[in-house]
This record gives sequence, C-alpha cells and structure tokens, in this order.
Amino acid sequence: MDKSKSVLVVTIFIFMMVKSFASSIYEKNCLSCHSKMPVKIDKFFYRYLLKYSSEMRVKEALVDYLKNPKKEKSVLQEELLARFGVKKPTTLNDKELKEAVDEYWEIYKVFDKLKGTPKNP
Amino acid sequence: MLKSWDTNLLSSEKKTLFSFFLLYLFFVLILLFILGYLYYNFQKDLVLQKYRIELNRLANEQVFRLKRLHRNFDKQRVYPRDKRFESAIYDSSFKKIFSTFKNSKIDFNRVIYIKNKKVYYIKELESYYLGTKYLVLQVDEDDSWVDRALKNMLLSGVVIFFIMMVFGYFLLWLMLKPMRDAIELLDRFIKDTTHELNTPINAIMSNIEMLERANLDEKVVKKIKRIDIAARTVSNLYQDLTYLTLGHKIVSYDEMVDLKKLLCERLEYFSLFSKSKKIKIKTELKEGVFLKIDIKKVTKLIDNLLSNAIKYNRVSGNIKVTLANNFIEIADSGMGIPQEKLKFITKRYTRANESVGGFGIGLNIVMMIANEYDLKVEITSKEGEWTKVKVFW
Repeated sequence: MDKSKSVLVVTIFIFMMVKSFASSIYEKNCLSCHSKMPVKIDKFFYRYLLKYSSEMRVKEALVDYLKNPKKEKSVLQEELLARFGVKKPTTLNDKELKEAVDEYWEIYKVFDKLKGTPKNP
Repeated sequence: MLKSWDTNLLSSEKKTLFSFFLLYLFFVLILLFILGYLYYNFQKDLVLQKYRIELNRLANEQVFRLKRLHRNFDKQRVYPRDKRFESAIYDSSFKKIFSTFKNSKIDFNRVIYIKNKKVYYIKELESYYLGTKYLVLQVDEDDSWVDRALKNMLLSGVVIFFIMMVFGYFLLWLMLKPMRDAIELLDRFIKDTTHELNTPINAIMSNIEMLERANLDEKVVKKIKRIDIAARTVSNLYQDLTYLTLGHKIVSYDEMVDLKKLLCERLEYFSLFSKSKKIKIKTELKEGVFLKIDIKKVTKLIDNLLSNAIKYNRVSGNIKVTLANNFIEIADSGMGIPQEKLKFITKRYTRANESVGGFGIGLNIVMMIANEYDLKVEITSKEGEWTKVKVFW
C-alpha cells in the first residue's frame, strides 16, 4: 500500500515536472493566474486592441504595463480595478516578457480569424 | 474717306495682326481651360460632398456592427457585410485586417476620393473595434454628373469664347486706330494734294501744246521741252495718285485693247523724257496682241513700268520693250533693285532707291491693276545692272 502510494506521489511529481518544463512562459507566468480570475485573459486582449489598434502599439502598451503597472495605465474598468487592484511588476526579463507577449498576441489576434460571407440579400 | 482694310494694311501689318490674334486666341483658350478645370473640380467637390454625407451615415452603421462583433468575438467571427457598399478595415499601422474588395491601395491621406469609377470613403474610428482604426467604404460611382458638367462646360465655353472674340475684335480695332488714323491722314493728304494739282498741270500742258514752236528760238524750244517733260512727269504722278485714292472705286470698262498700238502711244508719250536722258529704246512688238481690259488701267500699268524704266535708268542707258502673245516685258539697264528689297518692292511707299524722286506707289498700282485682272507680275533684277518686269496673262 505504502509502495503504491509512493509510486503515485513520484508519478505526480514527474508529471508536474514534465508539465512545468513543457508549458510556455506565457502559460506559466500569465495564464496560470489569469485563468483563476473572473475576468478571462482574452477580455484583456480585446480591451488592449480597442485602445491601441495595431500589433506594435498593443505589444508596447502590454510590455510597458507589465514592467511598471499603474492604475492610470490599466485598461480595466474602474470597478474591477478597485476590486482586484493593480498587479505587481513582472519578474520576467525583457526577452521572456517579449516571448510571453508575442504568444499572447498570436493566440488572440484578429488577423486571419474573421470570416467573410457572401453579400447579404 | 476710309478705304477698305485690304488696301490700307500692308502684309507685314497683317502678319502682326495675325500674330496678335493668335496670341490672343491662345490666352483665351488657356483662360477657358483654367475656367473649365476649376468648374470641373468644383462640380466634383459638390458630388463628393453628397457622397460624403451618405457614406458617413453608412459608415456609422458599419461601426456599430463592428462594435457588436468586437464584443462577441469569442462567439461570432463573421465579418458584417452590407449590400449597399463594400468595406475594409485597417489598423493604425495601415495593415489590412479584413476587406471585401480587391483594391488594396488605399489613399489614407484623403477622406473621400474617386478612383476607377469607385468612391472611397475613409472613416477614422475613435474606439478601435477589432483593432480597426480606419474603416474604408467603397461604392460604385454614379458618373452621370461628368456628362452634365462636360455639357455645361462646352456650352459656357462656346459662349465665353464668342464673347472674348467680340471683345478681341474691339481690342484690335482700338489698337489699330492710331495706325489707321495715320494711314487715313496720309491718304487724305495725298488726295487733297492731288485735287489741287489738277488745274495747274492742265494749264501748263495745254499752254505748252498751244505754243507755236516754229517761230521760236532753238534754245527756247529746248527749255520748253524740259518744261513739257516736267509737266508730264507731274501729270503722271497726278494720275497715279488719283488712281490710288479713287482707283478702286472707278468702274472698269473692259474692252479689247490693241497692246502694240497702246505701247507705241505710250512710248511716244515718254519719248521726250527718255530722250532727255539719252536712253535708247528697242522694241520687239508682236502684231495683233489683244487683251480685254480697261484701257485707262492698262495705260496706267504701262506708264508706271515705262516711267520706272526711264527714271531709274542711267544716262545713255537702254530699254527693251517686248510684246509677245502672252506677256509684255520691259527691261532696263538701270540701277537695279537689291535682292532683299525685291520681296517688298510692290508695297505702297516702298522705294528701292531714294536718289530719284517719287512716292513709292508706282509698282503698288501696277500690282493692284494686275491683281484685278489676274495678271502675273514677275520682277527680276541685278543690282547696279538691270531690272526686268514681265507681265503675263
């Protein structure tokens, strides 16, 4: 019984280790917390898009906010900001941060996702 | 009395007038072109203004749809279409997000423009739904306004052109007035002088004829001959001037004229004059050459050619008068006409040589008569040696 328990613990540990190595910086450092929040991470993306429009400006704004988060820079609504507060500055270095933001953009960008339909009758 | 412009204006003046007219025409056309261009652009702006109001309304509707799509993007990803227009969305770096039309070259510097019969309207969004900063609407252009504008331009162009031509005519008339006044003054002066010359010349000539020369001393006869020559020269000039001022108003009485007979008569008339310069006259006159012409005018023509041949000849020179079936030629051994003056020698008041008295109207009269009867005048000359005038018919 003890043996089987210890095998399970080791298996879980190995699984956790593998998982932690396989997941990306974005998944580890961003998604892990955001997925627990009532406001999903994609909603943040569309708010950034609404304010900054182009890829370059969205990424710039994201990086700027993550490195130095401030209430006045946040895209979140007032009431949500009051509820959840401003996050802490990122611990990621510039390279990691860029990688995370790039992945975030690739997942939610609008390009190539819109579908055309024939003209309405 | 003002004669028609045709006889008053020399061809160099006509050329100047023509140049002026061309220049004027050129400026009028440029003016019309600029006016047309401005009018066309004005009409185009008006049309675009209309499109702009309509397209802005449609763009607002599309923005509303984009807003809805933006909010529901996790569930709905179909780009909203409208049968009234084609549309495209671009982000703030002018990167295309989605488009329902093929043309990808959009001029983002303009709000509205027409290209390849399509109207493009670019609306800049305040909130960038789906990252859209620029919403481009495209509709087919209704180009019936172009035909209307061109028709109006053509009509107004013709009217303005006509008005400008009338204006130009008056401008030309004003510009020419001093010149015409000067010519009129000269013509009037000559006419008045001519009138005053008539009586004294007739008195001199008739009195010389009445003189009984047989009873006179040879020296006196010689002097009388000189007076006679001088009187005939003045008489000739008088006739020239009369012709010039009244000639074109005289009705022609054409008849068959025996040219040999006439030439002999005129040579006889000028014989005193030619003898005084010791000029030898050779004739080669064909019998029975007739020409249907006004006798007074053909006499004037011959008189002018003969008097020139004598006047511009050297002392003891030669003159050869030839009459053939289709021409008269009078050749002299005079001082000739410089090549550069040959072209203008028939113009009024033009003189090849200032050393001999005259007004420069003789050959002008010859040309006027020749033109009236379709005679061709050919003047050839070698300066300092000879001059030949040939009149063909």
